[in-house]
Amino acid sequence: MRGSEILERMADSGNEEVAVIGNTDLTAADLHNNTNNTMTEEGVPLLKKMEISVSEAEKRTGKNAVNMQEIYTVYLIETRPVDAITEGPSAAPDSLWRRYSEFELLRNYLLVTFPYIVVPPLPEKRAEFVWHKLSADNMDPDFVERRRIGLENFLLRVASHSVLSKDKIFYLFLTQDDGWKDVVYDTGFQAKADSRLKALNATFRVKNPDKRYTELKHYSDELQSVISQLLRVRAKVADRLYGVYKVHGNYGRVFSEWSAIEREMGDGLQSAGHHMDAYAASVDDILEEEEHYADQLKEYLYYAEALRAVCRKHELIQYELEMAAQDLVSKKQQREELATGTVRTFSLKGMTSKLFGQETPEQREAKLKVLEEQIVEGEELVKTSNTECDEYVRNAWIDIDRFKEQKNQDLKEALISYAVMQISMCKKGIQVWTNAKECFSKM
Amino acid sequence: MSVSTPKLLPSSGKKSIHDVCHPLSCEEAALTTPSPELQNTSSSIGDKDLSLPNGTPVDTSSPASSSSLLNRLQLDDDLDGETRDLFVTVDDPKKHVSTMETYITYRVTTKTTRTEFDLPEYSVRRRYQDFDWLRNKLEDTQPTHIIPPLPEKFVVKGVVDRFSEEFVETRRKALDKFLKRIADHPVLSFNDNFNVFLSAKDLNSYKKQGMALLSKMGESVKYVTGGYKLRSRPLEFAAMGDYLDMFTQKLGTIDRIAQRIIKEQAEYLVELREYGPVYSNWASAEEELQEPLEGVSSCVANCSTALEELTEDMSEEFLPVFREYVLYIESMKNVLKKRDQVQAEYEAKLEAVAFRKEERPCAPTDVEKCQDRVECFNADLKADWDRWQNNKRQDFRLLLTGMADKNIQYYEKCLAAWESIIPLLQDKPDGKGEMPS
Repeated sequence: MRGSEILERMADSGNEEVAVIGNTDLTAADLHNNTNNTMTEEGVPLLKKMEISVSEAEKRTGKNAVNMQEIYTVYLIETRPVDAITEGPSAAPDSLWRRYSEFELLRNYLLVTFPYIVVPPLPEKRAEFVWHKLSADNMDPDFVERRRIGLENFLLRVASHSVLSKDKIFYLFLTQDDGWKDVVYDTGFQAKADSRLKALNATFRVKNPDKRYTELKHYSDELQSVISQLLRVRAKVADRLYGVYKVHGNYGRVFSEWSAIEREMGDGLQSAGHHMDAYAASVDDILEEEEHYADQLKEYLYYAEALRAVCRKHELIQYELEMAAQDLVSKKQQREELATGTVRTFSLKGMTSKLFGQETPEQREAKLKVLEEQIVEGEELVKTSNTECDEYVRNAWIDIDRFKEQKNQDLKEALISYAVMQISMCKKGIQVWTNAKECFSKM
Repeated sequence: MSVSTPKLLPSSGKKSIHDVCHPLSCEEAALTTPSPELQNTSSSIGDKDLSLPNGTPVDTSSPASSSSLLNRLQLDDDLDGETRDLFVTVDDPKKHVSTMETYITYRVTTKTTRTEFDLPEYSVRRRYQDFDWLRNKLEDTQPTHIIPPLPEKFVVKGVVDRFSEEFVETRRKALDKFLKRIADHPVLSFNDNFNVFLSAKDLNSYKKQGMALLSKMGESVKYVTGGYKLRSRPLEFAAMGDYLDMFTQKLGTIDRIAQRIIKEQAEYLVELREYGPVYSNWASAEEELQEPLEGVSSCVANCSTALEELTEDMSEEFLPVFREYVLYIESMKNVLKKRDQVQAEYEAKLEAVAFRKEERPCAPTDVEKCQDRVECFNADLKADWDRWQNNKRQDFRLLLTGMADKNIQYYEKCLAAWESIIPLLQDKPDGKGEMPS
């Protein structure tokens, strides 16, 4: 859909140079495949084996959890094995309807299950950064259509991801109509999610932060702030542009009225008026197209959040490791104190022993034994935490690299298509004013 | 009459215009008895003719006849095709500061081959007051003609800086247009006062001299100002009035639209100026995307500059023409009113004669004179109307094609900016070595 529009635009502009520009989604998918081939030998992502689309949206009425009447939108997901396509075009696709909330559930599941992956974001829940002509209503057909495109994009991104696309829950989301939710809840991901969430909300400070992740976290903050600023200003620019064009439409009316009282000038004025009408009307298409650019930017606004989540999780894992290590150190110290009988630091234990007299050697032995066991456990924990942390860092960095490359590619494409839009707007402007000029010069 | 014919033959006639009697103006010039009260009003600007007391028309002894009228019309036509022989420009504004007042003078340069002028070239300095004096003179001595408008005299103090470069330049352009319109006019350009205005070293002495005359002129226009109802206003003049009413309305709308567009564009510019730098900010956080983002940023900046130029051009070249035409229409409405007054006077005389005839018939020479005046007025006005329509068509053709041109140029600049960054955006990091140029 988006690709064909870009092609049309290029046809309009007739610029040879621009013709190289391809479909954003396709390029992103290609990129995934490339990284895939080089990095993992596990197999091809789902998208290679299956054609996926969100082809339709429909309004439904139903009862919600508290038995209240509600209106919601469902989206039709169509899937078709690639083999079936090669066999014959007549093969009907499998299809099922999903609500936005189910997409949300899927994404939450993926977030918890793959903490080291920069999970693709969903399209916005509510329209943000809107300019005045754009409806902020969730039921608005334009909004629903943009969300449909966004949801499809989300599925394509997941399906082309080397790790995420192999998840069973994701596959079932695409193919199993009934009981999918139960399967998701059965994974127990929510318990994990809740504990994660608590940990993420708690304030903690890592002693030896990984410089790469600190920088990345800083970058995701920056990316989020700059894109939201960009979107905010762009909405204002769109508002003003709309104003400039629409006010020109008034010329259309007044020229036509004026032409009625003129003789020689009449015809020229009248037809110039029509061109002014056309000029005013052209802004609707221009800004509608520009909304796609805004959506592309919004995706990366939400990607910034996903990137930050990966950094936070890294911090959490490292924090756990550091806590384990610290615990181990203090246990070892306790053992030493107990063994040598010296109290290096003031402690409650020291106080009680002074007050209530020394423990019996038996008691001390028992305590030492317990400590020894705890130390062994602690050492084991530190070891596994260390491995976990290393593994996390390695895995996450692979995906972060993939993400960076995808981001650079996507945003470049987005900027190109934005420039192409501007070019076509300029050409339209030149065309309209040239036509109007011809009419004026005949007056 | 033989006296009135040569004034429109500048190539053959050596007589200057004051020898010639116009049926409406110069006949009153012969009358004396200026009143001190009128002298006062004459020094103030504008609305003179309208504020004058309601009085009976002055008795006249017009030499004009229908035969001279015919000649005049033919000559008018000839003149239209004639090459221009009088070129006037207004430029070089200068600020004068004295203890009493601060004002601007403009250089008025004249080049001409006309024999009415002693020299082929003049260069004088005039201030707004002088232009105003000239316009009043023309209005008084050529009441049957449409006198081009002057830019507004009064400016709201504090809101507009009278000595700012923009204001002075806008006014200079308007004054230049005013003189050019007169210089191109087949009748007004031969007006004695115009000659004096262009050539006199010391205009003030003429202005003082003219005081007495001016007050008499003032009387000439004190026709019936209201309460008259024409028995039969010729359709074409009624149509002119209707046209002017409609045109004023449309012009007002267009002016409002143009101002609104300028306002919208100014606000659009404010946002664009904020928009571009955001891309720069972003660029500083990126590595590979740095160049493309910087490219977009500078592109938006280029478009902003182009937009600013467009808006400036529009407010400097577009809006003043509307202003001029709004004022022009005022001036035309005044002339139409005067025409109605002259006709009303004629009708009144006609009625009076018809009434008297019943008692004792007499020679209606007075009525004939009045009829002449009406016909003369109608002919002048019609000729000027056609001229004006022609000018208007040309002016608006130029203005609107100019507007289209400016917009085309604006889009072309933006187009060039956006097209220039496409290669920058397409430049792949691994393809650096393959870049052709």
